Amino acid sequence: MRNRERAHYNSFFYLIFAPALLVTLFLTAYPMATIFYDSFFRYSLVSNTRTFVGFQNFSRILREELFQRSLVNTLVFTLVASITEVVLGTALAFLFKREFRGKRVASLIVIFPMIISTMVICAVWQTFYHYEIGIFNYILRKWNLAPVGWLTDQRVALFSIILVDIWQWTPFAFLIIQAGMGSIPAEIWEAAQIDGARGGQIAMKITLPILRSQILMVLMLRTLDTFRLFDKVYALTGGGPANATQTLSFFIYREGFKFFNFGRASAASVITLFGVAFLALFYVRSLLGEED
Amino acid sequence: MYRLRKILKRTVFILLVIFVVAIILIPIYWMVNTSLKTPREVIDPIPSFFPRTPTLANYKAVFKSGLWKNFSNSVIVAVSATLASIILAFLSSYALARYRFPFHLNRLFLIWVLVVRILPPIVLAVPLFTIFNRIGLINTLGGLIVAFQIYTLPYSIWIIYGFLKTLPKEYEEAARIDGASPLRVLVSIVAPLVRSGIIATSIFALILAWNEFLFALLFVRSPRLLTLPVVIARYIGEYTTQWGELMAIGLFASLPILIFSNVVYKKQTEGFSMSLK
Repeated sequence: MRNRERAHYNSFFYLIFAPALLVTLFLTAYPMATIFYDSFFRYSLVSNTRTFVGFQNFSRILREELFQRSLVNTLVFTLVASITEVVLGTALAFLFKREFRGKRVASLIVIFPMIISTMVICAVWQTFYHYEIGIFNYILRKWNLAPVGWLTDQRVALFSIILVDIWQWTPFAFLIIQAGMGSIPAEIWEAAQIDGARGGQIAMKITLPILRSQILMVLMLRTLDTFRLFDKVYALTGGGPANATQTLSFFIYREGFKFFNFGRASAASVITLFGVAFLALFYVRSLLGEED
Repeated sequence: MYRLRKILKRTVFILLVIFVVAIILIPIYWMVNTSLKTPREVIDPIPSFFPRTPTLANYKAVFKSGLWKNFSNSVIVAVSATLASIILAFLSSYALARYRFPFHLNRLFLIWVLVVRILPPIVLAVPLFTIFNRIGLINTLGGLIVAFQIYTLPYSIWIIYGFLKTLPKEYEEAARIDGASPLRVLVSIVAPLVRSGIIATSIFALILAWNEFLFALLFVRSPRLLTLPVVIARYIGEYTTQWGELMAIGLFASLPILIFSNVVYKKQTEGFSMSLK
């Protein structure tokens, strides 16, 4: 009887764990295994043939100019966007450290961008960036400056997308760093003030070092999210002009869903996965490193 | 002298705050502004900061063209995906928090959940498309509800697991001694204790699902099945001159979730912000 009860108790936990486990494996583990497998084949949905080609997909893709361009663009976007967001987010958290009337309303407004759909945001910025009717070029013309092709100039387009990302996600960095600041006991600041430390000194020598893990954490989350950049490219530039805003995700999308070269799309996915793994390991090491 | 400096500092501070709030609000204001303009005024190279002849024509036009259908698609998909994730996450997190599975399955699964969180979803899209196609989930709302679990399930598991892990076991043990079945304990003891956390997690998952774009774009083709973000993307691509209508849809897609900004702000400290994306 006791044993039967025990078995019943155990099976209950297996039963409630199984659905989530199965769904997760079905949606992630199986597709990932498929990518690794397919990346060694010339496999196209159009001709519906599958030929083993070894590492050929990888060696070809890595030598292609478009892929190299996508990789560089992704890295530039990731680096510039995530660092700027964290720096601005930290600055905002310092600004909002003080009490003032309307602080609560202001904070709520500040987090609007991260709640609104990326597509809505892109639609609005699309009107801002518009060459003829956009507000940016209107201001430039008013100051007698030459209008800029915000989304059509090869040198500018990627940075225009970065600006949208900064507008959308700086609030996220702000939110987490502000939470981190809130957990610092007030005595620490009081003690520093009694010891005669000035505002700037307190920020640099006390607050920032305490917030180090929070800042690293946000930087990691933003790096990993910006690395997958797709929606904004899709909505704002479609990868152009002249591939100036191609990214890794967009490359995979084109290979897979425009040309139906599943083998090549899989190989590009595997390369991207290695990139993500590298980034994640780098951050995990620096996050763990500080605890020792 | 000292007071003057203090007043000056205060003024600079207030101006900075106003500047920040303005940067956030201008694009949102611009959406409202443009949505109330006539098509002719929208394409005026000298942008007007208030609609000269405010009109609701854009709103009427988008509703006439069947936006309610897309809106209800978005609601159905986001609510169902959230419900499914919350139920799956609550059940599995409880098992993970209270039971030790063999082969370090607890830890392996939790790490895997984090790995999924950092994957670029496009990587999964190609193989999933093939599978979904085979089992008839492409071009259905059901397929989207399943695909959205890629975002909402790992997120919900991670947060709800955090709650359950900190929950004292005493109540559950007492109820068990009184003869309650494990299911009974789960439903009438544990669930009420983490209710507020589950509600907040649902809201975050709902926002994720409501805004999801990639799978909604790739897995659904029929116009009558599209969700709002994809409708917006199509507008940007196809009818580039209909800015007023586009902004009307944008506003319509944003308002239902902006209601939740209060919850998002309040729950920041509880590890929710881990990932809104």
